[in-house]
Amino acid sequence: MTPLEENAWLETTSGMVAVLLLVQFLTGILLAFYYVPSVDHAYTTVSYIEKVVSSGSWLRSLHHYGSQWLTLFAFIHVLRLFFTRAYTTNRLQWIVAILILGLVMAAGGTGYSLPWDARAFFSTRVAEGLMGGLPLAGGNARLWLLAGSDISTLTLSRFFALHVIVTPAVIAVVVVWRLFGLNIARLFGPPHAIAAAVVFLALALWCWQHPAPLGPAADAVTENYLPRPGAQFLWLYQSLKYVPGGLGSFTGVVLPGVGLLILILLPWLKRARLIGATLLGVCVLLVAGLTTAQYLNDRRDPATWKQLSRQAAQEQALRNEPFQAASLGAGVTAGETASTEGGPPGLYTKFCAQCHGSNGQGARQGTINFPPLLDVPIKPHRTVDDIVGLLKDPTAYGLQPPMRSFSDKLSEPQMREIAEWIVKLKR
Amino acid sequence: MKLMSEVNKSRRSFLSLLPLGVLAGVFASMGGAAFRFLRPRIFAATDKWLDVATIAELSGPQPIARKIVAEHVAGWAVTTEQHSVFVLPAKNNQVLSAICPHEGCEVTWEGATNRFSCPCHASFFAADGARISGPARRGLDPLPARVQDGKLQVQYVTREPVTHA
Repeated sequence: MTPLEENAWLETTSGMVAVLLLVQFLTGILLAFYYVPSVDHAYTTVSYIEKVVSSGSWLRSLHHYGSQWLTLFAFIHVLRLFFTRAYTTNRLQWIVAILILGLVMAAGGTGYSLPWDARAFFSTRVAEGLMGGLPLAGGNARLWLLAGSDISTLTLSRFFALHVIVTPAVIAVVVVWRLFGLNIARLFGPPHAIAAAVVFLALALWCWQHPAPLGPAADAVTENYLPRPGAQFLWLYQSLKYVPGGLGSFTGVVLPGVGLLILILLPWLKRARLIGATLLGVCVLLVAGLTTAQYLNDRRDPATWKQLSRQAAQEQALRNEPFQAASLGAGVTAGETASTEGGPPGLYTKFCAQCHGSNGQGARQGTINFPPLLDVPIKPHRTVDDIVGLLKDPTAYGLQPPMRSFSDKLSEPQMREIAEWIVKLKR
Repeated sequence: MKLMSEVNKSRRSFLSLLPLGVLAGVFASMGGAAFRFLRPRIFAATDKWLDVATIAELSGPQPIARKIVAEHVAGWAVTTEQHSVFVLPAKNNQVLSAICPHEGCEVTWEGATNRFSCPCHASFFAADGARISGPARRGLDPLPARVQDGKLQVQYVTREPVTHA
């Protein structure tokens, strides 16, 4: 026996993961009593939980920070099992630990979209980009993830189903698989209980002091908004800055996926110790290094830090505002009517009307208000050539998502046809 | 030696209960929060005055049916719902809710028999809303009403239907 195997306290990582999983299940079930997975109401219902429902802010905070702690402790659990050579002595425990780590990451990724605030919207965009950039299957993976050609309320329903039904069900199956036929009382002895109690108390107290973040609604995002992911995904966020466009999917999806697969297969690999140590070592270095680099990047750039501080203050102000109930039913408002000599081109109707209205009058999708295109020509940098350029690369014109590039959908003459119609729009 | 072994025994039995204690602690703290979290909320009745009709429209011996649209705040949503009311010009424009106080169905006015009838369980009410017969245990509920700028207005408040009074 190695000294590590003899130390009962080091084995308590499974008790810590177990209690955090329990917290995630219980708080998740409770949040589902109020949450509505639709772009119309998701933000409102999360605000309601935060501002009106008793203990809502604490329970949501437990769920939010609990997911980050769970990822960290699941990883520490894997490291502990590696050092005690569990992949040779207890293959089932090893495989289950890796699966739990992967599933917890997946649950975190899908859960991030659910509040449908500014962060949620951008994280959904990033998830879309990561899936879309996958080699060979990228196009289809993106379509299946979004449930359509673009982010919509169907996407939110899909993330919701993955987050609250599919992933927890798989986690439950994996946990039952691990515990089946074992004496649970013996497995989780007193040291586990003490460690679990300490972790739970620490999390409970942390969440008492720190409510989970809730940014501005997706439709209230200003152009200079800086989205930042949860702590467990900061490494991924930072890595995307270093790799050119298409390779983001490689670092964000393929590499972690292959890494987890190799770890699962470790018990059957030759030189398992060397492979595992290299893989986990690189992982620790990359995650710690990239997370630190991300923090330092933000901290050292005065403009970024100022904007992030402003956003934090804005979030605090939003939190202090009284809750505004959503109006259901007769929410039809008279829209502005646009007048043009001719009707819109068919391609405008196909690609642009959903967001900007059938006649450029603007539209609302859920909580997002899309701007009208009326009087676009009197704005600076909005000639026909500008609009064509903007359709090719919106970021070059200072536009943020959800405005996207249409280079893959429209040829230049087609863009020009749409632009020539837009510049004739008048109020 | 015997004493020591008994101390060890009680220590062991305490430790063996520790995991259960922790589990109970987690469930108790979360359970307390869950109770507060799930506790039903009593929604305050709206105190808004809603227009029913102009006073000039209201005359004659029979009840006059009108529709009003009331706002209901329920949790995170505000919904608008249409409700039927009856104005009784013969009774100083008293306004009655059309909700049957038995099981909550909507009563209709039967001019031929000069009474209100409930289509669900055959409760009948007189032209002034008083109970005549059937399973309902009270007459139709009057609504708070007032006249403002020549218009009859009501506050739409609902009372629980009574199955067993």
